Amino acid sequence: MRLTLLLAVCLLGTGPVEAEQDAAAAETSVWGLPQLMAGMAGVKSSQRKFTERKYMSVLTTPLESSGTLSYRAPDRLEKHTLAPREERMVLEQGVIVVTRAGQGKRTMMVNQYPAIGAFVESIRSTLAGDRTTLERYFQVKLEGSAARWRMQLQPLDKATRDMVREIRMEGRGTQIAGMEIIEASGDRSVMTVGGESP
Amino acid sequence: MTRQGRWRLAVWLLFIAGCVYVIARTAFNTDMSAFLPRSPTPTQQILVEQLRDGVVSRLILAGIEGADTEELARISKAMVRQLHQESELAAVNNGEMDGQQKDFDLLWKYRFLLSPAVTPEHYTADGLRASLLNDLDLLASPMGALVQRVLPGDPGGELVGLVDQLAGQSRPAMQEGVWFSRDGTRAMLLVQTRAAGSDLDAQEHAMQTIERAFESARQGVATARLRMTGPSVFSVQSRASIRDDAKRLSLIATVLVALLLLLVYRSPRALVLGLLPVASGALAGVAAVSLGFGSVHGITLGFGVTLIGEGVDYAIYLFTQIAPHSSARSTLQRIWPTLRLGVLTSVCGFSAMLFSGFTGLAQLGLFSIAGLLVAVSVSRWLLPELLPVGFFVQSGGMLSGAVMRMVHFAPRLRLPLILGVLVLLVALLLRQEPMWNDNLSGMSPVSQELQALDAQLRSDMGAPDVRYMIVLSAADQEQVLQRSEGLTVQLQQLVQRGMLQGFEAPSQVLPSQRTQSMRRSAIPDAAELRRSIAQASHGLPFRPGLFDPFLQAAAAARQQPLLEAEALAGSNLGLKLDTLLLKRASGWAAMLPLRGVQDADALTQGLAAQPDVILLDMKRETEHMFREYRHDAAQNALLGALAILLLLAVSLRSVRRVAGVTLPLVAAVIVVTAGLAWSGHTLTLFHLVGLLLVVAIGSNYSLFFDRESGAGQGMGQHHGQERTVISLLFANLSTIIGFGLLSFSQAPVLSAIGSTVALGAFLSLVFSAILITG
Repeated sequence: MRLTLLLAVCLLGTGPVEAEQDAAAAETSVWGLPQLMAGMAGVKSSQRKFTERKYMSVLTTPLESSGTLSYRAPDRLEKHTLAPREERMVLEQGVIVVTRAGQGKRTMMVNQYPAIGAFVESIRSTLAGDRTTLERYFQVKLEGSAARWRMQLQPLDKATRDMVREIRMEGRGTQIAGMEIIEASGDRSVMTVGGESP
Repeated sequence: MTRQGRWRLAVWLLFIAGCVYVIARTAFNTDMSAFLPRSPTPTQQILVEQLRDGVVSRLILAGIEGADTEELARISKAMVRQLHQESELAAVNNGEMDGQQKDFDLLWKYRFLLSPAVTPEHYTADGLRASLLNDLDLLASPMGALVQRVLPGDPGGELVGLVDQLAGQSRPAMQEGVWFSRDGTRAMLLVQTRAAGSDLDAQEHAMQTIERAFESARQGVATARLRMTGPSVFSVQSRASIRDDAKRLSLIATVLVALLLLLVYRSPRALVLGLLPVASGALAGVAAVSLGFGSVHGITLGFGVTLIGEGVDYAIYLFTQIAPHSSARSTLQRIWPTLRLGVLTSVCGFSAMLFSGFTGLAQLGLFSIAGLLVAVSVSRWLLPELLPVGFFVQSGGMLSGAVMRMVHFAPRLRLPLILGVLVLLVALLLRQEPMWNDNLSGMSPVSQELQALDAQLRSDMGAPDVRYMIVLSAADQEQVLQRSEGLTVQLQQLVQRGMLQGFEAPSQVLPSQRTQSMRRSAIPDAAELRRSIAQASHGLPFRPGLFDPFLQAAAAARQQPLLEAEALAGSNLGLKLDTLLLKRASGWAAMLPLRGVQDADALTQGLAAQPDVILLDMKRETEHMFREYRHDAAQNALLGALAILLLLAVSLRSVRRVAGVTLPLVAAVIVVTAGLAWSGHTLTLFHLVGLLLVVAIGSNYSLFFDRESGAGQGMGQHHGQERTVISLLFANLSTIIGFGLLSFSQAPVLSAIGSTVALGAFLSLVFSAILITG
């Protein structure tokens, strides 16, 4: 249900690239999940532009939207959609508040739906560099190098797997460049993250 | 025993048997009816109904704490699984999704009939186009997945609208899939009992069921604790604490008083006999109330017995005043006029309560009058027959010598006492702080600690007290639902204008039949709807044929039977309806709880024009009712005081003596009131009842002193006076022991009466000695 949000969450962990840290990570011959997570944990806040395409079985053409994403450690995420319609979505301490122009506020508890709850929480832990939590919810496969990596997340929990088949992420350093969520129904959501937003 | 004695014994036994017979057939109730004025306003009637068995009265809020989050969530889930099996609970909720599937199914099945959006325009090409554009927005939003699932059958967005409407209230925070307090230290559960909140036995049983579920769910997590709150929990706990306190304290008091009397009488037989008057009186009181009112309230039972505590004194007066070598009969002849006047004085005082507009007070009045009359009759006619021949109480000795010296010295304090009391009286009259507490919390038999817990759990649940509620009345269910629909439109405007945060209405869950059939007939036939949807989705990216399920569902809905209340049974929606729509003695009522009322007065004015619409302010109305209750009691107490004055004037035929007898009582009442006021108590109804009792008991003391000072002087019966004073002292001691112990009770009700009476009785005796003798 809140896959868009998840997507947003996943993309947000990317702060200003800390060159030294990246370089250090690239130099070590054994680069892997621990190093990536350590890098992520160093990111305290970020703000980036995004474009998103949702491929849905009910639609003949994908839905496109764009806007900005921001993250503040450890658990505040905001997806501010500017087109085609303005919408602001904030996740903070397990509560999602959606504000749409002319429609007032809508509040949702992430954990109202255990599958989504565990899922969002673990994505958040990716951003926070919390590897323990991440591996509790997902089977994590990481390939590539610190300079350019790809991560595959497969939900371990059955309830979550009924909704989400797989999450693919790619990035450079501590910056996530793109993300794809493949739902159990076959619907997909593809998000690309651009440069830093003012 | 004489022939006459045997007759009397037989009459007494017959009388007791009659009382027991009546009591065995008596209905005892503990509901709020005793607090209901005999001729209530419609608002008061509704208020009391709500307090008695409204939804709020049936809610139990439970918090589990003392373990880590995961453990608490596990306990919460296990408890809910077990509690779902219990038929005595109407609903159990801890926020888990599973509990809500039935509601979604119902909303889905009846979406065309339930949705306020369904109008003929809604399903035209233009109307559908607007819906579809909105759907596209929703698909892109976090609601996307849900919308996508229902879109093929519901392009009009009925389900989303209904879910929104019902999910308007604030909810508790969630962790691990269940409700938690914001700080994550307490897992929260909400339980609704099937039984009314006033059915305390059922409520107690439900609480035990919850505790059992907790015990088995925690599986040895020793630190975990269960806390419960809610109006019915309060009632059950306060009943238990009153019962425990009353049991424990009255046991101690009985033992102490018995020891004291045994010491005085030196005869176990006399000790037992001394209890006969008060026991007979209690039985007679219950029987009288049962015959007079048809049923007996728990309050009457609880306080009635303390009210006739005066009855214990009768035996003491009799036994202690029997001089050596004189018989009980001759003693009685001597003291009977005074005893009779004392009883009549008390009866006058209590008789004012008979005419109270509140059933509870009226019952107490009748109980006391019947109880005292029987108690004094037993003392007068039966006890002398049963006393061992030659029984007398050893008097004299150090104690009575000391007491008599004090009594002789007492009159010297007359002037200081009168001055002191006058100063206190003036100070009381000039006092700024409010003397009376009309808050429910002041009346509430619940400790401050429990009230704080309640506030804590409530804020954890995001469920503030419902204070404002609109109540609609109509002749039948259909009419009341139609009125509710009309009002819903008005309230929505108020919400938009910001005068109101939100509201609930029964017609949101069960629209009137009229509205439902209007919605049903707003659905176009299949061919027309197919054309409209094709036209509406032209140029939009929806997959062809996507809305076929909608066309089928709409065609079926045109034939669908209307939604009835029975269809909702067993769901959360059904529960909600039960609480918002009530069948009352005359017609039906709809409750519309309001949230975030900005300006209650403006709201009342806006609604005033409409008949049968009441804006109920639970807090103000309750306070108002208790204030009325107290005014009523105070007024009756004054009337009682006048009746007492009249009685004394007729009997004593002397202004000086009437003044002498009443002055100590007035002084005692003033000093006790001042003492309570300055020790930080605000007075409640229970203090008032206590003061009434002070007058009833104290009047005996002052009458005996009056008799001694009148009769004793001329005849020089020093010993008679000494015996009288000693008998008063013992009667007073036993009263102070009994009521003084009550003042240690945790229950505000008991401690209020206990401290008032113990202090008042003591002062009445001392003041009588100071003001009357000599």
